[in-house]
Amino acid sequence: MVTQILDPTDERVPIKRSLTPRPEALHGTVALLDISKPRGDVFLDRLEELLHERAPGIETRRFMKPTVAKPAPEPIKQAILEECDFVIEALAD
Amino acid sequence: MHPPTTFSLLDADGQEKQFPPEGPVLLALVKEDCDTCNLTLPLLEAVHRATDDGLDVWVAVQKRDDIAVLKERHDLTMPLLDDDALDLSYETDIDTVPTLFLYDQGQNCTLQTFGFDKHEWREIASESMTLAGRSGGDTAIDWESLPEQRPGCGARNYEPGVYERLQALKSGDLLSRVVDLASSDDLHEFMYDQGYTDGFPVVPPTRERVWKMLQGAPRDPQEEVAIMPPNLAPITVEKIAINAVMAGAKPEYLPSIIALVEIACTESFNIHGVLATTMGATPVGVFNGPIRDRIGMNYLHGALGSGNRANAAIGRALRLCARNVGGSVPGGTDRATQGGPHRLTMNFAENEDASPWESLAVEYGFAPTDDVATLMAMSGGPATVADERSRDGRGMAGTLALSMSCMQDPKSPMVDTLVVLSPDHAGIFGRSGWSKDDVRECIMEETSIPLKYRLRSEDAGCGLPPSIIDRFGGEAALDVPVPKFRDKSNIILVVAGSSAAKFSTILGGWAGGVYSTPTSAMIGPSGALTIRGARGADMDKRASGGRDLGAFEPNIRRP
Repeated sequence: MVTQILDPTDERVPIKRSLTPRPEALHGTVALLDISKPRGDVFLDRLEELLHERAPGIETRRFMKPTVAKPAPEPIKQAILEECDFVIEALAD
Repeated sequence: MHPPTTFSLLDADGQEKQFPPEGPVLLALVKEDCDTCNLTLPLLEAVHRATDDGLDVWVAVQKRDDIAVLKERHDLTMPLLDDDALDLSYETDIDTVPTLFLYDQGQNCTLQTFGFDKHEWREIASESMTLAGRSGGDTAIDWESLPEQRPGCGARNYEPGVYERLQALKSGDLLSRVVDLASSDDLHEFMYDQGYTDGFPVVPPTRERVWKMLQGAPRDPQEEVAIMPPNLAPITVEKIAINAVMAGAKPEYLPSIIALVEIACTESFNIHGVLATTMGATPVGVFNGPIRDRIGMNYLHGALGSGNRANAAIGRALRLCARNVGGSVPGGTDRATQGGPHRLTMNFAENEDASPWESLAVEYGFAPTDDVATLMAMSGGPATVADERSRDGRGMAGTLALSMSCMQDPKSPMVDTLVVLSPDHAGIFGRSGWSKDDVRECIMEETSIPLKYRLRSEDAGCGLPPSIIDRFGGEAALDVPVPKFRDKSNIILVVAGSSAAKFSTILGGWAGGVYSTPTSAMIGPSGALTIRGARGADMDKRASGGRDLGAFEPNIRRP
């Protein structure tokens, strides 16, 4: 009878990730990230409109991944981190 | 074989015996079901009695239950040691019993032999007497009545099954975490519960099976083969072997499976995107070269389907590696909206003899004698093209083109496809003198429709945005013919199956071949020797990340 097998996984212990503290109010610059999926731009255009309408004073900046098929390149992630206070990603279709 | 220097075994009374004892010692390893051992055990007992306390004679028995049997059968008084675990046999690496080692007072092994050679045994008996201080004394052995020579028997540590178990336990090759099962666990239910399987039962990856699998590829089991997306986990030869066992593979498939993992993890193939996409793509493998027959792959009846171990297990092993090491699990980072049965495994060999053309591997720059695997990302499952009437290349290419025209959606001009022609359909092209490029060009032309029919409309929401004409010359672009495929190289042609009838298969690719390109490897004894993208030169075996794979654009020329 088999009583022992070898682990087929990568054996990595999951890393605990904590959420960034949530700000009380919307302020500063909001990054709007288009992941290059169809109609992501339509969604973000409308969202941008609504943001300026309902949260006057905030700035928005648009970013776009070069391809939907891969994680965002490091420079885009770095720019969002350094230049923006919030990010909204238009995810999936 | 290596004379042992130290060990500790229990004797028949359960007392621990530490080797070496003080003074000279004659050590023998035997097993019960060996005629030569039974011939020689009385000789060892005679030496034991004749040397008395001047020399120790220790006999290690390879099975615990045989100790009492041998003791009674030969009326033995010398210490019989329990090597049931075969620790001593493994360390000394004996392959024959009986094996003898004679040590002097300084614990130097001065004589050794295996089997029965009367001359050598007489010498050992005589030297034993000398070491015991009884030089020239009588051992009471009737040497004249003994045969000149008798071969020994295979040692138990080299018996099939036992050898693998010992290697798996003691060689240090295997470093993966050992998962202990409780006696109440059902092994198969346990593996399902852990998420190790693809929904079908898997072969339990015991240490013995994994060690045997590793013998299929002479390579350090701990060597890191690739970084496996989506979790970007290093995948070693050992981890591939574990998943290969689970997939039902044989050791001779391992070099191919390692090569597929290496291909999958290239930037060119981009398995991250292939497995994460909502479109439900999957790697499909095509094999060329002598390896097809060497490992028994199927390229005849039912080549794309079930029933052949190599076809099924090699593709499944890659998928299990991606799942278990890469972490690609449906609903997790595998976001396939629906997927398809070909996502379990799809892997076959090309029927090169039945093809009127050079093989896929030769087309991609390899020699006909190279063993080559090519991976391509396919999201559409196999769809049958039935044409029993065409008698020339033009007619056959037209049938293929019409069958492809609705691929993905009828308006999409950004498709790529794998066409698996049956020998009968391929033969039509051969008899018409059509090259692969002739077929592709005809399909490009036959699938071309004016741009206006590829635009989104009220009666069919699929298609290109009408505003696209602004980028291609405005209204005048509406009548420009636009082919179904971005480029003729997006139409991959191979031949497989038997000459049973005139049915072929088309598979829809993934996102027009932009995010993943067919990628091939020449398979060596332990994995990929070289890796080559179908549309590029040789590439690094390891992904570098971040390469721009090009624009996702239809092939529209300006009017």
